[in-house]
Amino acid sequence: MRAVLIFLLAISCCARAAEPDLLEPDQAFRFAARLKDASSIEINYQIARGYYLYRDKFQFTLAPASVKSGTPQLPPGRKYRDDSFGEVETYRGSLSIVLPFELADADVPAIRLTAISQGCADIGVCYVPHEQKTELRLASLSPGAMRSEAAPGLFSKVGSAADDALVARVFEGGFWLVIASFFGFGLLLSFTPCVLPMVPILSSVIVGAGRPVTKSKGFVLAIVYVLGMAITYAAAGVAAGLSGAMLSVALQNPWVLGAFALVFVALALAMFGVYDLQLPVSLQSQLADASSRFHGGHTVGVFVMGVLSALILGPCVAAPLAGALLYIGQSRDVVMGGSALFAMALGMGVPLLAVGASAGALMPKAGPWMETVKRGFGTLLLGMAIYVVSPFLPVSVQMFLWAALLIVTAIYLRVIDPLPPAAHGFQKFSKGLGIIALLAGLAYLVGAFSGARDILQPLSGLRVAESGSTAPETPFERIRSGAELDSRVQAAAGRTVMLDFYADWCVSCKEMERYTFSDERVRARFRDMVLLQADVTANNADDAALLRRFRLFGPPGIIFFDRTGREIQGLRVIGFQSADRFVAVLDQALGLGQ
Amino acid sequence: MKARTLAVLALVAGLSTAGGVAVHLWSRGGSAGTDPAEVVERILAAQHADVKGETRRLGDWRGRVLIVNYWATWCAPCREEIPVFVKLQERYGDRGLQFVGIAIDQPGKVAEFAREFGINYPLLLGGVETIELVRQVGNRAGVLPYTLVIDRKGKLVSRELGALKEDRLEGLIQPLL
Repeated sequence: MRAVLIFLLAISCCARAAEPDLLEPDQAFRFAARLKDASSIEINYQIARGYYLYRDKFQFTLAPASVKSGTPQLPPGRKYRDDSFGEVETYRGSLSIVLPFELADADVPAIRLTAISQGCADIGVCYVPHEQKTELRLASLSPGAMRSEAAPGLFSKVGSAADDALVARVFEGGFWLVIASFFGFGLLLSFTPCVLPMVPILSSVIVGAGRPVTKSKGFVLAIVYVLGMAITYAAAGVAAGLSGAMLSVALQNPWVLGAFALVFVALALAMFGVYDLQLPVSLQSQLADASSRFHGGHTVGVFVMGVLSALILGPCVAAPLAGALLYIGQSRDVVMGGSALFAMALGMGVPLLAVGASAGALMPKAGPWMETVKRGFGTLLLGMAIYVVSPFLPVSVQMFLWAALLIVTAIYLRVIDPLPPAAHGFQKFSKGLGIIALLAGLAYLVGAFSGARDILQPLSGLRVAESGSTAPETPFERIRSGAELDSRVQAAAGRTVMLDFYADWCVSCKEMERYTFSDERVRARFRDMVLLQADVTANNADDAALLRRFRLFGPPGIIFFDRTGREIQGLRVIGFQSADRFVAVLDQALGLGQ
Repeated sequence: MKARTLAVLALVAGLSTAGGVAVHLWSRGGSAGTDPAEVVERILAAQHADVKGETRRLGDWRGRVLIVNYWATWCAPCREEIPVFVKLQERYGDRGLQFVGIAIDQPGKVAEFAREFGINYPLLLGGVETIELVRQVGNRAGVLPYTLVIDRKGKLVSRELGALKEDRLEGLIQPLL
């Protein structure tokens, strides 16, 4: 069996080239900023696992000139000795920097922030200093303005800079979110068919057979037992975090992550009852023997029983636990790993505590619903599989996978089966959940096929297409040769000029036209510019000369000229750019051009 | 092992193989229109200033086995491999091997580094357009160090991401000399 698995894994792995897949700098170092208060900006970086930023390489500049920036407050980084540079400090994970500023002019509507950062990947390559920009509207400081901008919606991500910061803050609070989730998973795990029926038996074992105890004594013993269990789990979590940290380079490799995903899928199958995953029965019974040697009723004995019981992995717990450990290993966070598994064990211990405290009155009834909980974990593990490989997949493939998972789950929740007339609450509830899953799944399916670019907004492709068809044509002036270009740039008389290289066969150019040029913010900035377009569809001698002059290889390419008619160096747009990013480029062009 | 389990495992492996192939084709197809051979021609033709301010092209060294190394003084992994380059340039220079470093950096720092490390091959300077070319030739994230091995006829033989080990580089060079 093992040989077969390894063989199958080997086949699937070699289908792809061995070159490491690196994230684009914007993905590796996700950037967001928001106004913290009237005199400081909070700048957030979400640094992908396996990547880091240098503490001493940040540069922040603010525009317009009436905004003076103070000294950025950089939190201490991780120090280490580098062979080339001596002691350096780096950041990993999430980073928050506060940049104070002063306003010389109260009428400034918005601050433009340009952030330069420099970082590397653990596999031994470095990114060139990377520039990221955002605009912070000062009006957004007043709470009223904030509220009017925030339109609710399942998939709509409203506003640009402010909302990115919001997302970053949610991740900052990620630690407690993870802990709470693991507690919840623990609680759910205790409702699986191989745990819940055991709780009353376990409870009597802990208390010690044939001995009358008070409720409070029973509760204390239950707590001791659960703590014993929780400490074992926490140790496992720490071990997973440590081994993940040691394997940090390997964990950046798509193959390793792909293998992880396959393991998650295999674990999910165990939860669906395709096969049973548990410790060998002989080992389980040995552990059970060992723990029964300690007598119930005594604090120390009960604690050791708790420690040992955590090692007895039954068929319902083994697979989710393995999944949790893999997740932690991949996150490489030792503290989080230990805490999360501790919380999970506490969650698993809740029914036991309830029994201890209430002498059995608070127990839910065992029944077939527990199988549903088990299958729920299977679904969760499949979700994990998709999550783990998502950095290496195009958005549309990710969306397709999520769609498949959600829709199949919905069908299992009997979305399209009619409810029996005497349906009870739980069936109605699960059907409701199923319908949400089905609709979300369909949204993702539509997103996957309509070229949505944002996993949070699967339907954005449709929305933009709709507005694009009604938007008026962008007023570009066509130019045919270098001479014509020169005369138009001359005639621009102090305005910033944008030259767009276009061709009918250029897909990115059409996308730019449809998604980016149609954006209101882009159009507003276009009004302050002279817009020229070189159509190089024919690729005649003039076209080739124009391309050569700008050392371009072909469309799409956008070049800006300042008011003296010189190209603004370093501001070219090559390839598709989203409206958000393009607006920032236009701002810079307008700023430099004046 | 149950037949059903085997079937499920086979299905999973089959799907992941198909997925892997699809992603691979996709990532290849993503750079459509930028044929590496053609990009190399542009790389050879691109103008670079050297440390003294003179304009050079990589094409000037056509006819030699060319190792083009994109690097910077601020990039730790780049610095690690440079002594290897100096050594190999010394050893194989007579037989037609030519290293050329293209630094995405400030001229002053490059000159200082060259003195400190005793660099015995030409160093040119690169900018935003250089990074764009490097992306098009296959280094999609635009990272350093990145090294191209180009044979005497101007054909791209290898693209190396990250610091190169001596034996690996020697293995690439030997057959070309």
